[in-house]
Amino acid sequence: MARKEPRKLAMEINHRPVTFPEGVTVHRAAELNGIDIPSLCSHKDLSPFGGCRLCMVEIEGMRGYPLSCSTTAQDGMKVLTDTATLGDLRKEILKLILSEHPSSCLVCDERVECKEYQGTIRKAGVTTGCRFCPNDGQCELQDLVEKIGVTEIDYPIDYHGYDPEHDDPFYDRDYNVCILCGRCVRMCQEVRGTSVLAFTYRGPKAKISPAFGRSHAEAGCEFCGACVDVCPTGALADKASKWEGKPDGSLISTCPFCPIGCQIELYHKNGRFTGARANLDPEVNDGQLCVKGRFCLPEVTHHFERAKRPLLRKGQYFRVVSWEEALERVAGELKGIAPEDFVMLVSPDLSNESLFAAQKFARECIGSSNIESTARMELGGGLGLWSSLFSLPISIKDIARADVILAVGLDSRFNFSVVGTKVRKALDAGAKLVTIDPCDSNLAGYTDDWLSPTPGKEGALLKLFADRLAGQKADTSAAAAEAGVDSDMLERALAIISSGHEPTVIIGPRVFHYSDGTALADALMTLAGAKKVNIIPLYFGANARGALEMGVFSEVGPGGVSRNGKGFGWTELLSGSRRPKVIYCVGDVAFQERPDCDFLIVQDTYLPSFKVDVFLPASSFVEAGGTLINMEGRVQQVVRVENPPEGVVFGFMRPDWRIFTDIAKALGSQALSYQSAADVFKEIRGAVPGFPAEVDRTPRRMKPIDRPLIVAARGDKAADGDFWLVAEPGGYRHRGIDIASKVGGLCELALEEGFRMHPEDVESLGLADGDSIRVTWDDSQAGAAATVKADPECSRGAVYFTRRVILGGIKQGRELGPLLGLRQNPARVRIARAEG
Amino acid sequence: MKGRDSISEGGLSELRREFRGERGDLIPVLQRVQEIQGYLRPEAIRIVSRWLKISENEIFGVATFYAQFRFHPPGLHHLRVCLGTACHVRGGEQILLTAQQRLGVDTGETTPDGKYDLDRVACLGCCALAPVVAFDQKVHSQMSVLKIQRILDEHKSA
Ligand code: SF4
Ligand code: SF4
Ligand code: SF4
Ligand code: SF4
Ligand code: FES
Ligand code: FES
Repeated sequence: MARKEPRKLAMEINHRPVTFPEGVTVHRAAELNGIDIPSLCSHKDLSPFGGCRLCMVEIEGMRGYPLSCSTTAQDGMKVLTDTATLGDLRKEILKLILSEHPSSCLVCDERVECKEYQGTIRKAGVTTGCRFCPNDGQCELQDLVEKIGVTEIDYPIDYHGYDPEHDDPFYDRDYNVCILCGRCVRMCQEVRGTSVLAFTYRGPKAKISPAFGRSHAEAGCEFCGACVDVCPTGALADKASKWEGKPDGSLISTCPFCPIGCQIELYHKNGRFTGARANLDPEVNDGQLCVKGRFCLPEVTHHFERAKRPLLRKGQYFRVVSWEEALERVAGELKGIAPEDFVMLVSPDLSNESLFAAQKFARECIGSSNIESTARMELGGGLGLWSSLFSLPISIKDIARADVILAVGLDSRFNFSVVGTKVRKALDAGAKLVTIDPCDSNLAGYTDDWLSPTPGKEGALLKLFADRLAGQKADTSAAAAEAGVDSDMLERALAIISSGHEPTVIIGPRVFHYSDGTALADALMTLAGAKKVNIIPLYFGANARGALEMGVFSEVGPGGVSRNGKGFGWTELLSGSRRPKVIYCVGDVAFQERPDCDFLIVQDTYLPSFKVDVFLPASSFVEAGGTLINMEGRVQQVVRVENPPEGVVFGFMRPDWRIFTDIAKALGSQALSYQSAADVFKEIRGAVPGFPAEVDRTPRRMKPIDRPLIVAARGDKAADGDFWLVAEPGGYRHRGIDIASKVGGLCELALEEGFRMHPEDVESLGLADGDSIRVTWDDSQAGAAATVKADPECSRGAVYFTRRVILGGIKQGRELGPLLGLRQNPARVRIARAEG
Repeated sequence: MKGRDSISEGGLSELRREFRGERGDLIPVLQRVQEIQGYLRPEAIRIVSRWLKISENEIFGVATFYAQFRFHPPGLHHLRVCLGTACHVRGGEQILLTAQQRLGVDTGETTPDGKYDLDRVACLGCCALAPVVAFDQKVHSQMSVLKIQRILDEHKSA
C-alpha cells in the first residue's frame, strides 16, 4: 500500500497566498501556515467535531460563517479569519461557554492582584476559581479569553456543582471546568481505540464518563494520559504534578522503561524534573505513550526512598561514608582478586555507556569474564535467537501500514500500548486482525478472529501461519486439535493472514517465556524467510538489545563477538553450585535474599532489602543521561535534566560509567579513563560494528551472533494436575526495583500480585475472589500459596502469575518465591484452598 | 467472534438472525434487547459491545442520549410525568420533582422494592389538560403538587 504524497494546493488566507496539502481542513491549512484560528475542540490527530464554534471564518462565496475545523480547504479559496464581526461573534460564544465554566477569576478585575497576594476575599472556591485550577497559566481556555478579550459575562450563570473525581490512579478529574469539547473522548476512541470516555446523557446533564458511572480503571482505561494531554482546560490533571504550576521548559528525551523507546518531553521547573508527556515525533510513538512513560518517571526518580549516598558496612554498622572511603574499600576487596572469584551482574536497564564501561571494567580491570545480566532472562529463548531477531528490519511505525496483523499473546493495555495504537491505526485504515491468545485481551474487543489455544501452544499455532505465509503446506486440522482451537476458525484466520501483502506479526513477551520455545523459534525463522513480514518481538528490559550489542555476557563480547569464557551464569548463581567471593550488582537485583558471597557490592538507585557490604549510589536517567538502543536498533538519547552539585542537599549520585572509572582509578588501573559519557560513546563506536558516530535514530540491523538458535528447554520432570500454571514476565522492572513498589498508582492497580484465574474456575473450586490458594506440582510438599483474583480475562483451566525477574522493592509477592525456580512453563499443577 | 460472551445468553440469540452485527445496527439492537429483557443490563451491554465491536462506554453514551432506554428493571407500576411544552409551561417540572421526592428515585429509575418506576415523556397528547401525568394506563390531568402526592400516597396504602 504505497502512500501517495498529497498534492499541494494554494489559497488565500487574510489576503496572504498560502499553500497546503490536499485534503486538510481550512483550520489545519491555516495552522500549517502559522495562522492561528481560535479553537477549543479541533486537534490535528482527531476527527472534526464542530463543538465549540470558535473557529468560524468567512469564506468568499460561502454563506454565513463556516467552521474552519470541519470545512475542507479547496484550491483557490479566499478566507478571512479575523474580521470585526468574527471577533464579536467569538466573544459571544466564549461568554456562553463561560456561563457554564466557573471563571469569575478569568474576568474578575482583581485577578492579577489575587494571584500575587491573594489580597482579596476570593470570589470562588478551589474548584470554581481560575487561580486555583491546576491549569492556571497553561490553559488554552484562559489564553483564548485573554486573546479574544472577554471581560464580563452577561449570560445567566449555570455551574454544574459536580464532585471532583479523585478515585482513579494517576490523574484527577474535575468536570466543573470541562467545556465538553470532546477532545478526550475522540482521543480515547479514535487514537487509543480504548473508548473509555463517552458523552453520557444530554442537555444540561451531559457529562464525560464511562458506562454506568464506573471508575476509569474498571472501564478499561490504559492510563496513557492522552486525554489529559489534549484537554484544553484543567478538567483533567496529573495527580503527581497537579500543583507544580507552569514548567520552566522541556527537553526531548527517550523513555527508559521499555525497548519501544518512546520519545518523551521532560518538563522541569527550578532545575528539577517535574513530569513527562509524549513527544509528537512520528518515528516511534507519534504522540502516544503507555502508563509507565507518561506517569511513572517522576515518582521513580524522586521517591523518598531513593538512596543518595555511599554506604559501607563496618562490623555491625551500615554507615554513610564519603565516596573516597567507599571506593577505597571496594578497591581493597578487588585488588588482586582471582578472576573466577568475581561476578558482575549488570542490568539491561542501563545506558549503552554504562553497559560498555561495565564489561570493560570486568574484562580489563579485573581480568574476569564473569559478567552476566538479567537481559538473558528477559530474552527468552536465548541470545542466539534474539540476535537473529534483531538482525531483521523491525519497524514499529510500519505496523500502522500493515494490511493484516497477527498478534500473539499481546495485551497492550499497560505495556507496549504504543504498539496497540499502531494496530488500531492499521485497523482504521482497513487492516484485518487475528489474535492468538488463551487470554482475553484489550485487542479481543476488535479482532476479526480470536484463536484461544491451550497455554503454551501459541508457538505451534504461529508455525502454521508462518508456513502459510512462506507458501508451505501443513496439516491444519491435526494442529488445531493439538492446540485446542476450532479448525474452521483456524482455516478462516489462516485465509485472512495469507491474503495480506504487508503482514505484521507481533509476539508478546509471555510467549517467549514458555520453557519449550522450539516451535516458536522455528516459526519465527520461517517468518523471517517469508515474503516481507514485519516481525515485532516484544520483551522487557529497556536496553536488553544494548546489553547484547555491548556484550555484557561471558560468552558474548562487544559487537556480538563470541567469547569462549564460560563464566558464572544465573544457573550457577541461583542454584548456589559455585560460590564467588565478590558479587558486584549493577542495578541488577534478581534476588530475594542476599546471594552467598564474602563481599557484596550493590550499585543502584535504591537500596536492596537484604544486607550489602557497600552501596554505591547511581544516578537515575534524568540525572545522568546516556543512550539506549530500542528494539529496532535506533540509538536514542536520554537527556540529563537535573544537574545539581554533589552534596548533602541533592545527594551524591554518580553515573554508572563514572563509578567504574573511579574504581579503576582507585585500583591503579589505566583501563578506564573516561571523562564524560561522550568518551565512552566514542569508544563504543570503535568496538561495536555499525554503531553510529553520534546519536542516530535510524533503525539498524544487528549481525546475528554465532550461538545456537535456541537454548534447549531444560524442564524438570513433568508434573501432573488439573490446571496449567502459566508464568508471565513482569512488566515493571527498572534497574534493581519493580517500579510498582514506588509508583503509588501502579501499586493501587496491583496488576501483578498473587494468582489470577477465571471466575468460573474459582467458583468451581468452591473458592471466592481474594481467597488464599495453594498451588502444588508434585507429591512432595513443594508449592506456593497466595491470594487468587477472579479475572475474567484469564483462560479456563489455567492459573496465571507474574514471575518477576527483578525483585527489589517487592513487598507483596514474596510468597510466590518458590515458583521462581520452576522451569516448566506452563506446568501442570493442583490447586487447593490454602490452610490457615 | 469467539469467546466467552456469546450472544446466546439471556434470550438474545435471535438478534444474530435479525442483524448483521455492524456498527450501524447499534440503536435497533439496543431497542430489541430492551424489548426482550425489559431494560439494558450491564451484561447485555457487554455482549453487544463484543458483538458490534463498540466499547461498552460508547454504547452507554449513545443509550443515555435517548430517553427511550432504561438501565433499571421496570417497576410494577409506571408513573410518567409529561414535560411537553404545554405541561412544562404549566409547572410539569414541579410535578416531576415532587414525584422524585415521594418515590425517592431519579427519573429513569425504579424504587428499590421494584414497585414503581418513574419516567418523563414529551407529550401525552392532552395538552389542554396540562400538566398531565400517566399512572399505569390512567391519565391524570390538571395536576398539582398536592394531587400527585395524593395519588401516590393512596396507591401506596391501597
Ligand atoms: S480550566 Fe483554565 S480557564 Fe478554567 S479555571 Fe482552569 S485555568 Fe481557568
Ligand atoms: S488515560 Fe488513555 S485510555 Fe484512559 S481515558 Fe484517557 S485516553 Fe482513554
Ligand atoms: S474533559 Fe477536557 S478534553 Fe474532555 S471534554 Fe472536558 S474539556 Fe474537553
Ligand atoms: S511503551 Fe515503553 S517506551 Fe513507550 S512509554 Fe511505555 S514504557 Fe516507555
Ligand atoms: S474548533 Fe471548530 S468548532 Fe471547535
Ligand atoms: S405537553 Fe403534556 S400532554 Fe402535551
